[in-house]
Amino acid sequence: MAERELDPVAATAVDERVPSVVASHVSITYRVFSPGRAEETFDTDDETSAIRRLVRRGSQGVGVREVEAVKDVSFVAYRGESIGVLGSNGSGKSTLLRTIAGLVPPTSGQLWINGRAALLGVNAVLMARLSGRRNIWIGALAMGLTPEEIREKFDDIVAFADIGDFIDLPMSSYSSGMAARLRFAISTCVVPDILVVDEALSTGDAQFRERANERITQIREQAGTVFLVSHNPGAIASMCDRALWIDRGRLLADGKPYPVAGLYTRKYGQHRHIWRERYAEVHRVIEEQGLEAARDLLRRYEPEGGW
Amino acid sequence: MTDIGPDPQYSPPHLPAADAAALAARYGLTQAGVRPGLGAYLRDLWGYRHLMWAMAKGEFVAENQDNHLGWLWSILNPILLGISYYLIFGVLIGTRGGIDNFVSFLTIGLFVFIPISLALASGTKVLLSKLKMIRSLTFPRVILPLTVTLAHFVSAGPAFVVLVIIALVSGEPVTLEWLLFPVALLVVLVMCLGFALIGSRIVHTVRDAANLMPLITRLLRYVSGVFFSIEASIERFDNPPEWVGHILEYQPVAVALTLVREPMMAEYPVRWETWAIALAWSFGLFIVGFIFFWRGEGTYGRA
Repeated sequence: MAERELDPVAATAVDERVPSVVASHVSITYRVFSPGRAEETFDTDDETSAIRRLVRRGSQGVGVREVEAVKDVSFVAYRGESIGVLGSNGSGKSTLLRTIAGLVPPTSGQLWINGRAALLGVNAVLMARLSGRRNIWIGALAMGLTPEEIREKFDDIVAFADIGDFIDLPMSSYSSGMAARLRFAISTCVVPDILVVDEALSTGDAQFRERANERITQIREQAGTVFLVSHNPGAIASMCDRALWIDRGRLLADGKPYPVAGLYTRKYGQHRHIWRERYAEVHRVIEEQGLEAARDLLRRYEPEGGW
Repeated sequence: MTDIGPDPQYSPPHLPAADAAALAARYGLTQAGVRPGLGAYLRDLWGYRHLMWAMAKGEFVAENQDNHLGWLWSILNPILLGISYYLIFGVLIGTRGGIDNFVSFLTIGLFVFIPISLALASGTKVLLSKLKMIRSLTFPRVILPLTVTLAHFVSAGPAFVVLVIIALVSGEPVTLEWLLFPVALLVVLVMCLGFALIGSRIVHTVRDAANLMPLITRLLRYVSGVFFSIEASIERFDNPPEWVGHILEYQPVAVALTLVREPMMAEYPVRWETWAIALAWSFGLFIVGFIFFWRGEGTYGRA
């Protein structure tokens, strides 16, 4: 694993961009209480392993497993950026963003944030048994609004969420789209310094998505930083000016959305097997004809790849 | 060029840790996931007082909305429980030895013990049961054990009013000491907050402790004099060592029940010892609990 470090002088000499998130070697480990075993492979005809199996079977239903959701991730995000976070399901991207929003403390490493972060997520319901009205109060109070400010903004929030009479019904009776709209309306009732959007835009109808995009643009213009999680590379490429690729908890790419999305689709996209063949070919060419020939080959596959 | 392929293994360039810290310091960024100072934490908590109240009210509403009679159950439930306990312990088993007004004795013990046991049962589990909320909103986590316990006391409010009615009906003379009744309940509340604060961090760190909670509450229910007089039952043994009686009478839950009974029941005069010990327990537990919980801030939400 080649670790490169930025020259600190060069890094600080960049024009006066104000950092909003500084992550330094952040790792997040979850404790999962699970009866499962860490390794599933064991020899079948070995006598010692038979004993081990017996012990294992006896201890089924007992035990804790540690899951490393995020491993040693470092990056600096600046004000005014909108950053897409790409990754397949379970790659640790949501966990990382929850940490950025100050919700899940990192296990090791350090993370600094500038100002207040708000998380928008589909699955993040507040109190499902309470009405939308009470949830607006709780959510807005938790975002640091005073009761007077909430009274002032209350009608705006309800209007934006567009849930009509459901406002007085418990949130457990809402459709997932309605709940997502209400969450979105609450989390954006103040402009947070850092807005973390966790696939909230994938639910809701087209009109709502349009309004949501409009509001995200507004927040970006007010010098906040927006993180957008998605496993749709197209959405990231169109909405963001920077992308991070998280794969199995590790940050593998950080840069312009188009090439980063390209890397991601090469591993997980529809044509992944084609790319696998192409890379096999490239490695063969490197061995047989050297680097230059391989570079030519890559340029032929992808003229804009910057090889 | 060797690291190309569909499965790259390198990490993008990053700042060394010291430079990252310096960069963060230069622009005044605050570190996430670390415990704030105690003073800052208290100020933060004060800033969230409205949220605390809204959440406590919400808990109360959520608990009482899933049925037709709604919050009426918070009166009906303790009354029905009181009747069944009276039938079991007052009539069938006969634990009323040495108590004149057993109805008042029993109902006070029962109605005050319910929020205490709930604080021990659900208050200590709150960091696990509210994980979803912890993972979607930022606020000082100490709000959670505090509000859940507070909500149980708000729910018990109607039952406390019923206690006054029962005392009146059962012929207790109305005295100025009745004014101490709400004060005593507040002292019990503070004690329960202490229990919830200490317990919730323990359960968060060692989850298995949650399985002991039902055992502990059950034990406390039977040794704290909810439906019998500790004093009278100690007398039945010949010559127990004195400290046994003191422990039984002055452990936090037992002293809490006595504290509430004394102003309401003529046969138990208000004693300064009860108040001194109860106040020491409740504020001691609360302060120790608050500091204990605060020291774990910045770790909650990961388990």
